[in-house]
Amino acid sequence: MGWRWFHQWGSPRWFYERARRWQLVCGWLALILLTLGSLWGLGFAPVDYQQGNSYRIIYLHVPVAFLAQALYAAMAVCAIVLFVWKMKLADVAMQSIAVAGFAFTALSLISGAVWGKPTWGTYWVWDARLTSMLILAFLYLGAIGLRAAFQDPDQAGKACGILILVGVVNLPIIKYSVEWWNTLHQPASLKLTEKPTMPASMWIPLLINILGYYIAAAYLVLGSMRATVLERERRAIWVRELVNGA
Amino acid sequence: MSIEKRMLVRELKLIAARPGDIFKPMWFTLLVISMVPLALAPDSQLLAEIGSAMIWVATLLALLLNTEHLFQSDFSDGVLEQWLFLDRPLAWLVGVKLIAHWLFNVLPLILITPVAGLMLSVSTEVLLALFITLLVATPALTCFSGLGAALTLGSSRSGILGVLVMMPLFVPVVILAAGVLIRATDGSDTLPLLALLGAFSVIAATLVPVAVSAAIRLNIGGSN
Repeated sequence: MGWRWFHQWGSPRWFYERARRWQLVCGWLALILLTLGSLWGLGFAPVDYQQGNSYRIIYLHVPVAFLAQALYAAMAVCAIVLFVWKMKLADVAMQSIAVAGFAFTALSLISGAVWGKPTWGTYWVWDARLTSMLILAFLYLGAIGLRAAFQDPDQAGKACGILILVGVVNLPIIKYSVEWWNTLHQPASLKLTEKPTMPASMWIPLLINILGYYIAAAYLVLGSMRATVLERERRAIWVRELVNGA
Repeated sequence: MSIEKRMLVRELKLIAARPGDIFKPMWFTLLVISMVPLALAPDSQLLAEIGSAMIWVATLLALLLNTEHLFQSDFSDGVLEQWLFLDRPLAWLVGVKLIAHWLFNVLPLILITPVAGLMLSVSTEVLLALFITLLVATPALTCFSGLGAALTLGSSRSGILGVLVMMPLFVPVVILAAGVLIRATDGSDTLPLLALLGAFSVIAATLVPVAVSAAIRLNIGGSN
């Protein structure tokens, strides 16, 4: 056995076939969790005494904002794996996560704007968390744009890796500097270290939705990774056989 | 003569060969500054209020314009490849190049800020704070935009991508600098923020050359 579990990841074909099953599991799990969490949150959770029903966008906004940040960290881990073990699959993952991460960041900015209108009376304020989210979106865009500028995927992967690692070192500095600069946003809805300030009937569906969105993100990233593997390995025999239906 | 000294002399000779290149970014800064009162209003009180921030942004843009092609000519005529064969770490040579760039191309930009300040009727104290802030902050900005330039070296269709990719990383520098200017305006102590800004510059100057050298290597070696 030994290191075999690790070296398997070097084989695109092994990944492509396994990921199909994982994707299926993730897809169904995400569907069940998101249906449960969203129905509970939107239909049955109690009304907020201050914000009324408008707070219910929390069941989209918070999970999506969590993911926007977590995916950047995941991308940085992939960059480290790429540089340390030269694993090409890590580069594929970086490419897929960058797109998903940008999508989730954009979604969190948009859902935040929609929530901001009834609560703060405006779609956009230059508040610390909104600003650092906007900067995060630009960082994701940078990773996507830099990759598009190169023709050789290996070169593009390494350039993106450098950019992402420099970005991940800077992210906390950006976050704290922006926070120091201006803060208006309500404090974080859920913290790992503290008891939630909401009643259980509000935060349990939120937790289910957060889990659901994480698994949904895994589903999306796996699907995109499988497509990218096929594209990059298009000259390999197993891909030709697969495509030609041999 | 040591390699470092020769590199500096070479940079000076290159500038002497085309002295116009130094003036273009300064020219650009002054043009941007002249647009501000035209776009806003020739009201000297209003201008004094936003003047220092406008000069900061204009200098930042000029620096980006200036640094975008930092390694391009050395890359196309093979100088960067020769660097790989020297008995110095690549990151060290990159550091020397960045220092030379800061001395000969960025410093002139800072030196004209008093003129820009006069144009926007910024008060002397704020102008002094602005001057010091730029001196302390530009090493970090130079390093990061140099990294942007190095990352996009090998790609022919990158355009201003190097700038776009690096700009989000300028956020802490801009925020701290703005803090210094605000404090200078109301007469409170600017030293703590200047120290933070200086720390950021020192860390950037230490670590970014390593990233730049990795970026140069990947663009020279192709897929290696």
